[in-house]
Amino acid sequence: MGSSIFYFLGFVSIFTALMVILSKSPINSVLYLVITFFSIAAQFVLLNAGFLAAVLVIVYAGAIMVLFLFVVMLLNLNKEYEPHKHIYIKFAGGIAGGILLVTLIGALHGSGEIADSTLNGEASYAASTGTIQNLGKSLFSDYLLPFEISSVLFLAAMVGAVFLGKKEKSSPKVSAEKI
Amino acid sequence: MTEQYFSGLRIELFLTMLILALLVGKVLAIKQNPIGTLTLISVFLISSIGISFMQNESGYLFGTMFRTNSTILFEKAILLAGTFIVFMLGFEWMKKQKHFLEFCMLLLSTLLGMCFMISSGNFLMFFLGLELATIPLAALASFDLDEKKSSEAGMKLILSSAFASAILLFGISFIYGTTGSVSFDTIASAIDGNNVQKFGFICILTGFAFKISAVPFHFWTADVYEGAPVAITSYLSVVSKGAAIFVLMPVLYHAFGRMSSTYIPALILLSTVTIITGNLFALRQKSMKRFLAFSTVTQAGYLLLGITGNNTEAGASVVYFMLIYIFSNLGAFTVVSILQNRTGRDDIGVYKGLYKTNPTLSMVLLLALFSLAGIPPAAGFFGKLFLLSSAAGAGYYVAVIIASVNMVVSLYYYLNIVKMMFVDEPEITIEKLKPAVTEQISLFICCCGILVIGFIPAIYEYIYNLSAAI
Repeated sequence: MGSSIFYFLGFVSIFTALMVILSKSPINSVLYLVITFFSIAAQFVLLNAGFLAAVLVIVYAGAIMVLFLFVVMLLNLNKEYEPHKHIYIKFAGGIAGGILLVTLIGALHGSGEIADSTLNGEASYAASTGTIQNLGKSLFSDYLLPFEISSVLFLAAMVGAVFLGKKEKSSPKVSAEKI
Repeated sequence: MTEQYFSGLRIELFLTMLILALLVGKVLAIKQNPIGTLTLISVFLISSIGISFMQNESGYLFGTMFRTNSTILFEKAILLAGTFIVFMLGFEWMKKQKHFLEFCMLLLSTLLGMCFMISSGNFLMFFLGLELATIPLAALASFDLDEKKSSEAGMKLILSSAFASAILLFGISFIYGTTGSVSFDTIASAIDGNNVQKFGFICILTGFAFKISAVPFHFWTADVYEGAPVAITSYLSVVSKGAAIFVLMPVLYHAFGRMSSTYIPALILLSTVTIITGNLFALRQKSMKRFLAFSTVTQAGYLLLGITGNNTEAGASVVYFMLIYIFSNLGAFTVVSILQNRTGRDDIGVYKGLYKTNPTLSMVLLLALFSLAGIPPAAGFFGKLFLLSSAAGAGYYVAVIIASVNMVVSLYYYLNIVKMMFVDEPEITIEKLKPAVTEQISLFICCCGILVIGFIPAIYEYIYNLSAAI
């Protein structure tokens, strides 16, 4: 039962992820991406990580996707603007991607027993693994240092983003060019 | 128990304090005084270099997250010194910027990221350090708000580094999937070199190769170096690259130690292609910054070749080469920065007949280029000698011969610039330039570094003993 749900969700997430790239209209891409996030969140639920699933839905499917939609609408990207690439570039991309796919299949071929031996079945799937309590505990004990570093990372990223956002006001040359 | 944490993390704590102090200064809108800020930063950086040499105990903190020993501290001292010189050489440009404090803050946070990256004993820490070292750099590369090229550089850097990070994470996930851990220690004992792990390793190596701009992954280098402000270009080419090389060694020797039959051919291939391509492209550059970009690509190839050697010897020769490389490359960039600030141009034509008007600058650039090319009196010769002998010691003679032939080719383009400066007639008239005090400090430190390190064998012995002690 569990594995059939897993395969179904895996199929949905891969199919919608492909559709994100393949669909012509940006709005459709964004909507497909929402479905991708939902199916990945369902995968988290299967792994007993309910909290992560909720966070994924709230943050990515909720906040970030809305932001994407706003940008798409503000920039009026509804039409197909993307220039057609040259046939050689498509050809080279196809060959490179194909080689990567073949390599990946070759690498994964016959690796079933590795996965079984390292994950050792039920042990890592204990029901309490993904609760908020356990997550919080390991975040502030085993993963304390990475947690603190990520706060510095966000601070630096924020300063950089605010600085780049000031661009228009502080550059007389650019605005002069526009006029 | 708590002292251990303070002494192990002392450099990182120092840097974090400095970053927060700058932030508070900015938020409270204290009247900006660039010289005061520079003095504060210099005092902090120099004292951090000082404390990195005292009381070096080795071990792990926070489980296996944070690793420290005397080699790591020495590597951090090299990066701190490099950042200090970058501040010195770029100050004339920086102080004119409206957002000087943000600039310092972002630059120091990338340095903090690199310190954590070098110290990481775990792929999670490594990745966070790498991101902290990369994301602010993209903002810094587009710091010149009036220049379209600068924005282009920032955009190219962030997009291509995001792509490289994604591939790196993809590789890490394969390693995690097959070994069940992201800690270097556990990976080292659980890895058996099956095909999935090989694939993961290649993805991880790709991420590294992007960071040090080894050849199939170097396309961002020239454009970003050309567009970014000179201070950031020099920082990217020296400090950022150095950090990636320093962390590559423990990842290869320690975490992937059992997969040496996979990584050594990959490294040799990568280094040979890098050296040859870097040289060929450097031959035909017309812009000085692009020229130095391809020159650093070539140097990365030599570094990769050095890494293939025997454990202790290779580690020592790479650290020693980086120490010399910081002084030689930053010396060249100081001269480029002075000329670009005063004339507004960075094409090679500016350097024609430079000796007639600015003999001191020409002599410094001569020394730096000799050191980069590896001509004996300058320290760069010894650096390359040790790198090549480390690879030769492990028996990779073909790669060493290719590298040596390419050293001869590289002499052509380095000496071409020297010829322009000393023999050719000037294209445009440049009056005698007077470097500012900070630029003089940078020139002085770089010259001393290039001349002194080559003549004191004790420095190499010191580094060798540090590496051997682990």
